[in-house]
Amino acid sequence: MQVVADPTVDERPSDPLEGPVRPQERALSGAASSAANVLLQRVTHRYGGFTAVADVDLEIAAGEFIALLGPSGCGKTTLLRIIAGLMRQSEGHVTIGGEIVDALPTNERGAGIVFQSYALFPHMTVTANIDYGLRARGKPKGERSAIVARMLSLVRMEQYAQRYPKQLSGGQQQRVALARTLAVSPRVLLLDEPFGALDKNLRLGMQIEVKRLQRELGITTVMVTHDQEEALSMADRIAVMSEGRVEQLGTPEDIYDRPQTLFVANFVGTANLFSGRLARDGERFTIALDAGGTLSIDAASPCSRAGRVMVSVRPEQLVFAPLGPGTLPATVELALPLGPSVVCELALDNGEKVKVTLARTGALAGLAAGSRTGLALSPGAPVAVFQA
Amino acid sequence: MSGTLAVAAGRLPPDAGASSGSLASRLLSDWQLVLPLGLFFLAFVFGPLALLGYVSLHTNVSLEEVTLAQYTKFLFDDFNLGVLGATLWLGLKVTLLTLLIGYPLAYLYSVARPFWQKLLILLIVLPLLTSAVVRTFAWLVILGRQGIVNETLLALGLLEMPAKLLYTPTAVVVALAQIELPLMVLPIITVLASIDPNLRQASQSLGAGSWRTFFQVILPLSAPGVLAGCLLVYASSVSAFVTQTLVGGGRQMFMPFYIYQQAIQANNYPFAAAIAMILLFSVLSIVVLVNLLARRVRVLSHG
Repeated sequence: MQVVADPTVDERPSDPLEGPVRPQERALSGAASSAANVLLQRVTHRYGGFTAVADVDLEIAAGEFIALLGPSGCGKTTLLRIIAGLMRQSEGHVTIGGEIVDALPTNERGAGIVFQSYALFPHMTVTANIDYGLRARGKPKGERSAIVARMLSLVRMEQYAQRYPKQLSGGQQQRVALARTLAVSPRVLLLDEPFGALDKNLRLGMQIEVKRLQRELGITTVMVTHDQEEALSMADRIAVMSEGRVEQLGTPEDIYDRPQTLFVANFVGTANLFSGRLARDGERFTIALDAGGTLSIDAASPCSRAGRVMVSVRPEQLVFAPLGPGTLPATVELALPLGPSVVCELALDNGEKVKVTLARTGALAGLAAGSRTGLALSPGAPVAVFQA
Repeated sequence: MSGTLAVAAGRLPPDAGASSGSLASRLLSDWQLVLPLGLFFLAFVFGPLALLGYVSLHTNVSLEEVTLAQYTKFLFDDFNLGVLGATLWLGLKVTLLTLLIGYPLAYLYSVARPFWQKLLILLIVLPLLTSAVVRTFAWLVILGRQGIVNETLLALGLLEMPAKLLYTPTAVVVALAQIELPLMVLPIITVLASIDPNLRQASQSLGAGSWRTFFQVILPLSAPGVLAGCLLVYASSVSAFVTQTLVGGGRQMFMPFYIYQQAIQANNYPFAAAIAMILLFSVLSIVVLVNLLARRVRVLSHG
């Protein structure tokens, strides 16, 4: 798949939106980048006795790309459906573009949603699918066909205009679903596990494409995903959710390098978790691990209080070092060469397993199962420390 | 980029055929599977039908002279054509009435909560569990001079004299519509249940209201079920001998009773056979025609 210079960059429509415009009218302007901010205030949703979304506060800036990341059942899809108006929250308020939309039905919110199954109308051609929302808004025919043509070229589906959905591949169906949603120029774009149904090769291509479209149109976007790589690579900010709550909201760097909770450290990326005892050592900190050995770190975050702690170390933050003081003694059990890197599994002396990722170069030697080595932290590695 | 994607997507491994071949060889081959039903149909459907056709081509029961006289006799007589027309027209009226009642009922079922769904399906299927004869007699009780409807209207003072409800063309249509209703409702329920619920939500999120969503998305996608229901009800109601005869009271002649009369009362088997063949082919050609028409408007190919 090649990345070509994009001829559609200038497709951004030039309708000047003058003066205060009602949201519905703004939506009528057709593919304009009428991005709106989204504000969730103390949003709670209960199904019977079960709380699916608990007290979520979230402020999404206009034009921002937010990913709701979490395991299945964490409430992320419920939250998305609440924003879309497909369900009504039990408590709290949803504000889109400064207007409280709690009482507005789905078709008046201006929130466009792309479903995981795409939900294309099977009895309509690609053109008719994209045209659907424009007709629902009662736009004149000339304007409609102009927008449809622009959308087809935006998602590069011109030559499939007269096909029916079932004559298209998964990736093509998704482009149509995107075009159909973008055609009505929603104030917010909602993506529900958008790449879940695509195979791995197609997925990367579509992720790049969606990100490109989102940038070009400057549209506020909320994406639900359980795939951390997807969230890390696409979103401006990520809200990691667990059991209905937002565990951490931050940039991908924040989430990956500075997890605020044990859950985030565990869920995003791979983490080795050790229990031990934190102690201050002048400007630095040391952690005496229960498994034997000591780690020395520059800063202890988010917990810097001396005492029992859990420390989370990413596989790429560990390096092999000669056995000796300041290292963890370990025994190599398994080495998996994964192309550019090698993943090793080692056992500490108390039997705990540790994963280490090494660059491939020269790493394969000395990785025979059973060989003894020391493990040290690579300098400056942002290790996360949590109160145990 | 889309070109590359299209090629990648089009190159599916053709291994699906290989595995199904080995599966079939382990089981029975197709013709062996069809055999029992095929023999049954041959003996009890196509055999009698051929016999019927053969009988209809003769002047009398001695079966000596082969002729089309029975058919010309039927087709060049206004009375006979009137009976045929009335029968086909009856079928149309019954079909439209069941559709009018059946679609909302099926739709109600599709949006109801599970508890109400169970209750509704029981009510819908219940009539199927009693015989058509019993249901027809129930209508006699309801519509008779001292029936429930008349008694109620008299008691309320809305009528001075019992109205004549039974033995009218309307009574036949109403009774048949009730009796055939499950045949309309069940296929529509099936097709409504198969529509992806996300389509409705997608339609709403694109700005369409409930009515537009219904007429543009739900109704077109349920067309195959509507078509199946209509054909079933039509074919079944034009040949509903018992209901037509008992509720209609013989005032208006329909094809099934005409056949009965010619065969049993007039002992004119060749003519009765010819009437039967004509009814059969009339209904068959309507079914085929409607199907072709539906295919043309792509109702079936994209449902």
